[in-house]
Amino acid sequence: MPLSLYYYLSITAVNILMSWALYVPYRVAHLHFITVANMTISGYLSGYLVMNLHVPFGWALLIGFAVGGIIGYIVSLFIGDAPTFAVVMVGFTFIYITRTVIENMDVIGGTMGMFGLPNIGGSPAAHRWFIIGILYALVLVVGFLIFRFDHSRLGRAASAIFVDRDLATSLGVDIKKVGMLLQIFSCTLAGGVGVLYGFIYKSFHLDFFTFALVGIFMTVIFVGGYATQWGTVVAAPILYGFPLFFPPEVQSWRIVIYGAILILVLVLKPEGFITRKFVHSIGTALSRKRENS
Amino acid sequence: MKKLVGVLVLLFVAASLSFGQAKVVVNEWQVPFLNSLTGAIAAIGEFLQWGAEYAAAEINAAGGIAGKPVKVIGVDTALDPQKGSVEMARLVKDSLVAMGPVPEPVIMAAMPIAVENGMVSITATTSYEYAEKFFPWTVSWFPPTLDRLPPLVVAWAKQFKDISQVVQFIEPYGPWPGMAGAHSSALKSLGIKELTKVDVPTDAVTFGPLAVKAMAQKPDGVILVCNAEKAAKIIKELKNLGWTKMNHILVFSSADDAQLYATGGSDINGVQVYNYLNLETSNPRWDKFKAAFAKAHNGNMPFSLSPNYYDALYMIKEAIEKTGVTGDPKLLKVERKKIADYIANVKGFKGLLFDWDMKDGIPTNKPTYIFEIKNGKKVLVQEVRP
Repeated sequence: MPLSLYYYLSITAVNILMSWALYVPYRVAHLHFITVANMTISGYLSGYLVMNLHVPFGWALLIGFAVGGIIGYIVSLFIGDAPTFAVVMVGFTFIYITRTVIENMDVIGGTMGMFGLPNIGGSPAAHRWFIIGILYALVLVVGFLIFRFDHSRLGRAASAIFVDRDLATSLGVDIKKVGMLLQIFSCTLAGGVGVLYGFIYKSFHLDFFTFALVGIFMTVIFVGGYATQWGTVVAAPILYGFPLFFPPEVQSWRIVIYGAILILVLVLKPEGFITRKFVHSIGTALSRKRENS
Repeated sequence: MKKLVGVLVLLFVAASLSFGQAKVVVNEWQVPFLNSLTGAIAAIGEFLQWGAEYAAAEINAAGGIAGKPVKVIGVDTALDPQKGSVEMARLVKDSLVAMGPVPEPVIMAAMPIAVENGMVSITATTSYEYAEKFFPWTVSWFPPTLDRLPPLVVAWAKQFKDISQVVQFIEPYGPWPGMAGAHSSALKSLGIKELTKVDVPTDAVTFGPLAVKAMAQKPDGVILVCNAEKAAKIIKELKNLGWTKMNHILVFSSADDAQLYATGGSDINGVQVYNYLNLETSNPRWDKFKAAFAKAHNGNMPFSLSPNYYDALYMIKEAIEKTGVTGDPKLLKVERKKIADYIANVKGFKGLLFDWDMKDGIPTNKPTYIFEIKNGKKVLVQEVRP
């Protein structure tokens, strides 16, 4: 596999998974930016486990998921039913706290970062196949789970919470329980993705996990469409890949182009390009085709 | 008969030499430069790029590299590790050599790709502690922090008999805390007491409380290890709190850029700064560079990292010419290694400001300088050699 294709595919998968990690709690109107802190914590922890304690990568990855989930659970006890603004503030605060703690921990490289993570599978080529394999297996599994969730009673309950909390409560929906569940799922996913993110680069640096990441994931969700999981799948490869093909003269305007697209979409198509109606019409068209044939 | 033998011997020697000197196969040397041309440090990226392109123009005007022109191709990584890694992955496919990336987060994401593929990419703006992780596929532009900084701090402190306790302001970014650690070891060696450090948050906007915290400890000297704008603002706050011995304040090299002077104004007069770049040095190349830089940058003199990629391109030129690299794609692996081996141990390299040697990728004899700021300009106090 060409190297540039590997990086393109692996980072696209990370962007899809992390955008889903934001999409899921956003189904109950929670912008859960703590996921970026989860990425950082689990990522650095896995690096430490593999480099210093020689824990096999598979275990480090599982621990990364678990730690993400545990943090998500503890935090969700307090903000499982909090309003959007409070969840956003907790997320930003967590990112700051995480950065400061890591900056002061020399054992994981402090401000310098962590270098020389080993190849999984022995060789660089095997490493790449492992990483791509795990990432896309994760995309399939998580995509399936989200699909099931979106079409379940729980998904409908989340939609009710998004539209009107009081109405959802009167319908018997336990707002806190649903909020907690979605936050824990989101944090667990982010923890595992953080581990894989560092192993793509074979290093960790605090500036891998900045607010710029929040910006990327938000753009993917809102341009793609925040009402279905498919918006993310379409927007992540395009938004990330498209600028790579710009000629050098236009490359410098990448951020402006991103910004312009985001503003245009928010003004002209607030629900994003892939709406529920659009998904529904494609589904109907496909089933008609099947019936005719 | 003797004449005939002589002619034959000469022909043989000439033929041998021409066989030894491989023929360049490229029509143009292309040197990609992974640089942050947009984003938060775009201003720095601009003058790094300017330096590299200025060197290319100068080289081309003098006949190019081994007779062929060179072109520096700016590859914008926008301070983004994701973009940096994809761009590096694209370059390692067929580039002979590259420059950058800039800065540390992108270096950490992208350099492992260069290492894995055996391609030199010269990271001329980062500290030794980052560069050495990627040897031999890069070189360090600076000696190890623990070797280079203590002599500077010793030289600064020895100027003043009344410095007995010093406080450091430290911003937690990349190698900066490590640099502060090197300052500490110098202070310790002189028996100077180091007071409790003052942390400068990366996102700090007010500096009064930080200055109060420092002044409460009654320091005789101050060392600033934070970015240029913050250093200038802290100095202003210290002055507001009654600090008068301005030359007892030392600013570290990374803060010696335009924002220090623009933000500090007359309040930073008298402050001392250490750096590698001595604007007062005079030689024809450097004088020409300074004039061209000023013309292209509204009359400003070159900033502290301005010559780094100028020198890096000349180092690549020398490596290609001295090792007989041809640019032949079939010899890519071998020729990349030749360049790596050459630059790691280059001797008497003619840099823009001074000549220097490399030993195993580390410069051995680069001078450093201490300056005092007078009317917004740096005036040399002393040169410090390792």
